[in-house]
Amino acid sequence: MIRARGRATSRSDSLPFLICLLLSAGAIAMPSAWSLKLAAGLRDTILLPVLWVQERAEEGRTSRARFQAVQAERDSAALAAQSLAALTAENTRLRGILELRARTTTSSVPAEVLHQSGPTEGRTLLLGVGAGSGIKPGDPVVSPEGLVGVLLSAGDRSSVAMTWSHPDFRVSAVTTDGSVLGIVAPSANTDASEAFLEFRGVAYRDTVATGTLVMTSGLGGIYPKGVPIGRVAGIRREELGWERVYRLAPMANPGHVAHLLVLRAPAAPKSVP
Amino acid sequence: MSARRGDGRLYLGFALLLLLHFYLRPRVFSGRAAPDFLFLALVLVAIRARPGVAAVAGFAVGLVSDVLTPASFGAAALAHTVVAYAAAWGRAVFFPDNALVVAGLFAGGVWLRNAIMLLASGTPSGQLSNALLVWSPLQAVSTAVAGMVILLFLRDWFAIRIET
Repeated sequence: MIRARGRATSRSDSLPFLICLLLSAGAIAMPSAWSLKLAAGLRDTILLPVLWVQERAEEGRTSRARFQAVQAERDSAALAAQSLAALTAENTRLRGILELRARTTTSSVPAEVLHQSGPTEGRTLLLGVGAGSGIKPGDPVVSPEGLVGVLLSAGDRSSVAMTWSHPDFRVSAVTTDGSVLGIVAPSANTDASEAFLEFRGVAYRDTVATGTLVMTSGLGGIYPKGVPIGRVAGIRREELGWERVYRLAPMANPGHVAHLLVLRAPAAPKSVP
Repeated sequence: MSARRGDGRLYLGFALLLLLHFYLRPRVFSGRAAPDFLFLALVLVAIRARPGVAAVAGFAVGLVSDVLTPASFGAAALAHTVVAYAAAWGRAVFFPDNALVVAGLFAGGVWLRNAIMLLASGTPSGQLSNALLVWSPLQAVSTAVAGMVILLFLRDWFAIRIET
């Protein structure tokens, strides 16, 4: 039986509601550095059992569904690696002749993606690795297809990555031949159901053909050079005759990735003897 | 059935929903249209509690959601608080003993929750229309279907009388 609510009942119900609304508004207005720290703290304490259960579930699903794909990828990688030793030796010799420094090397940490059910899922991804694995905020996050994003915060056991679909995402980019530089950012206004990127800041005199691969330029010190971002899918708009903005079809889809690699800061460059 | 046994079944039911959300959903479903079992648990709490209690439960569930997807911290807490409070008041208005009304409550709640979350998190207009017109209705339907299946088998556990 539903009981009629009197004025006193109504007031006692409204007060907690208003307090919760105020707390929510306060959380929205909170500086992101604080909210990320608070979220990491809660994930590492109260929600640790929940994340443990979800990690086991993800392991169970991916180990079953991705086994064949990983086996095929491993076979291809083994085949490609056969010529790696000769190529490395040749590269080192040529760099020595040109008196270039040795290539900077990056190590990586594999991470499992713990997908959530919220509507903002995809802008950020929860990863099953934390600072204990040697990762830190600002480390790039990649998938076998290409760049996914950058690490936003790292707790003890879990971390959060900002993907390319986040409105704040930016990366310095270059075409494969190195002729055109620009900035890649998510499109603010998508017409289609598929999210895409924009290759901005391209001088009006430069033309980039459809299908051209765009990759990280290495400028800025966050992302290493040469990580694929996307392929040019046409001109998005032209800004007053001085800049062209190209539409970019991203290589990696944050909504579908199950495993990622977090690239750790490059090792100190070694000088060539 | 004794009150203690009934409470035990109720808590077991909520524990089952948590397990479904954090274990079954990642194993079976992928994508943005996956059913939200945590939201089902919240609505089942809301329709049997006072609006004030429902608002606090909504805030707690929203905070968990914010911690796990901190794209816009606080947006989920706000959305869940409003929806849980509205669901608790809506119980008096809609009298949710009918299966279609309960399914509508689940579906409408998910859509409204998503709408508030997307607006509060400053989603760009193009993505907003796509999310509100495509993905949110899909998730609303999948959550409503999952909710009805659960209530069909466990309505005694949740002490809900459903008239079809």
